[in-house]
Amino acid sequence: MANSGPPINITPEQAISEAAALGEKIARGAELFFRLRDSEVAIATTPKDEVWRQDKVTLYHYRPLADIKVATPVLIVYGLIGRYTMADLQEDRSLVRNLLNLGIDLYVVDWGNPSRADRWLTLDDYIDGYLAECVRVISERHKIDNVSLLGICEGGVFTTCYAALYPGAVKAMVLTITPIDFHGDTVENRLGHGFINIWTRSLKPEDIDRLIEAYGNLPGDFMGSIFSQMTPMRTLMKYNLDMLEVMDDEKKFRNFLRMEKWIADRPHHPGEAAKQWLKDLYQANKLIKNAFTVSNRLVDLGNITMPVLNVFAKDDHIIPPATSQALGAKVGTKDYTELPLPGGHVGVFVGGKSQALLGSGIAKWLSERQ
Amino acid sequence: MNPSEYMEALAKLWSFNAKYFASESPSTEKGPLASFDLEGMTKASKAFTTLWSSAMEVSQTLARHAQEGKTQNPLITELLGKFLDPKAWFSSMEGMDQALQQLSEGPRLADLWDTERKMLNVFNAWAALRQRSLEHNTIMLEAWLQAAGKFAENLNKRERTEALGSWRELLALWVETANTVLLETQRSDAYLKSQREILKTSTDLRLAQQEIAAFYSETFGYPTRAELDDVHRTVTELRRELRALQRAYREAPKHEVVPKPRANRQRKLVQTRRSHGE
Repeated sequence: MANSGPPINITPEQAISEAAALGEKIARGAELFFRLRDSEVAIATTPKDEVWRQDKVTLYHYRPLADIKVATPVLIVYGLIGRYTMADLQEDRSLVRNLLNLGIDLYVVDWGNPSRADRWLTLDDYIDGYLAECVRVISERHKIDNVSLLGICEGGVFTTCYAALYPGAVKAMVLTITPIDFHGDTVENRLGHGFINIWTRSLKPEDIDRLIEAYGNLPGDFMGSIFSQMTPMRTLMKYNLDMLEVMDDEKKFRNFLRMEKWIADRPHHPGEAAKQWLKDLYQANKLIKNAFTVSNRLVDLGNITMPVLNVFAKDDHIIPPATSQALGAKVGTKDYTELPLPGGHVGVFVGGKSQALLGSGIAKWLSERQ
Repeated sequence: MNPSEYMEALAKLWSFNAKYFASESPSTEKGPLASFDLEGMTKASKAFTTLWSSAMEVSQTLARHAQEGKTQNPLITELLGKFLDPKAWFSSMEGMDQALQQLSEGPRLADLWDTERKMLNVFNAWAALRQRSLEHNTIMLEAWLQAAGKFAENLNKRERTEALGSWRELLALWVETANTVLLETQRSDAYLKSQREILKTSTDLRLAQQEIAAFYSETFGYPTRAELDDVHRTVTELRRELRALQRAYREAPKHEVVPKPRANRQRKLVQTRRSHGE
């Protein structure tokens, strides 16, 4: 429709009416905001029991919610950036609950809260130390030779390395939103995608060394600020637009607060492990080149001979799809499946459409490989 | 105080401090003060101030002209002015800089007067960080100006098609336009270089502060950061060795004797107690 007037045609009446509606929304939201207590905004509520602990690492076993249909237990492995609670954010949007309801026997490892005292922990300690111990404990508990692994993001890199080093100990491996080719962001080169890859490559290795020397770890707040830069206007508008949208609807507001709780819980990444993560993987891209070492052993992706399900988000701005998909050409198994899902990095786990597909997709794939 | 006034005030403060040290220190030419880049600081400050004035002017012009052709409503002009104010952009766009500042800004200028060489290093590192922040903010301000220009362009297109009928539509157009500009800016060499400089200078500041902390720790007999790091390193290595030993013990054939550290220790403790008649 042609317009000959000014570009903005907001009448004073309209402005007043919008302001009044907004005022009402804020008033209702404020009432809800003051009524809600932090303890009421609970995340990761699915019941589980501690079965093993070493240093700051804890292994939990989830209580079943249905009859076990897949005999081999599955261990969920999250990374050191963020926490596993993303997989169990809220009751109606929980990968953990979905899998339990579909008869999967589920474990999860919590890396705890690394402090400066954990500066010297390396990825070798996490992969060949703690993760290896978790697999051993589960195997002993169930009297089995191997378990299935479900890696998420950096945790997916841990499980990939472990599976390449100990293929006999892994029955099947599911990867979700996992970077394998850390330079894969250049394949599509989409605006707003792969900023961490670009940013890390803009640094020199010695910048990272000095950062760790100064702080002892990769501070959680620091990584949080890098993530915020990936969605600049969203970050800018989060509390004065997104929150306003939902704050008068209790259900939506609780969901918003749960996500905030997860975002705020950003542990520090142990220093030496962070150096390997940023320099060896993000900068030198050693994993896809079969040049990354763990405990002085080369991680050869060709040794991954168990079935692999690789799940990625089609609109993932943190781990662009090509960075995950690169695994397909490198693994030593013919039983390699990709499951692309709609949504972004976190949306895969909490988005209405994706999270339903994710749980059922994984359960179906696992049950077919029993 | 708006960001421009803040930067100006800081530049004055730095220059005052620099002059004070220059007059007090006998070795200013080769001493730590020699690395203080007053000229660079002043230049960065001026560039920011000039750009800030332009941004404010653009913001006000945009707000005025958005309603051109009809009687201007003061309420809408004021609201538009607020929403297009670059200050709002700066309040939450400092991201990494802010996170690093919170982490690194320990000692303040008040500490400066009762210290010597190490304190000057802290001062120089702090000033360098402020300068880099200023340069980074200038890049962000340039991005804001670019976003404002594109926003005006988009509004003009609307003039020819359909006028925006609500605040929500207006805000959506701004968010979309600004987001694209910001994402493009973040990929630019200038932005990435500037971020790297902030990272480096904030790290330098933190290390300079740790030198002071180590100095006081040594003076008063407390463990230094380096000593604690050494202890933590030892603990981590011992735990690593213990894990390896436990694994070797588990994996060894049954007839091979591999000492089990914990069991041996317990046995020894029991024997000791027995020998004491417990």
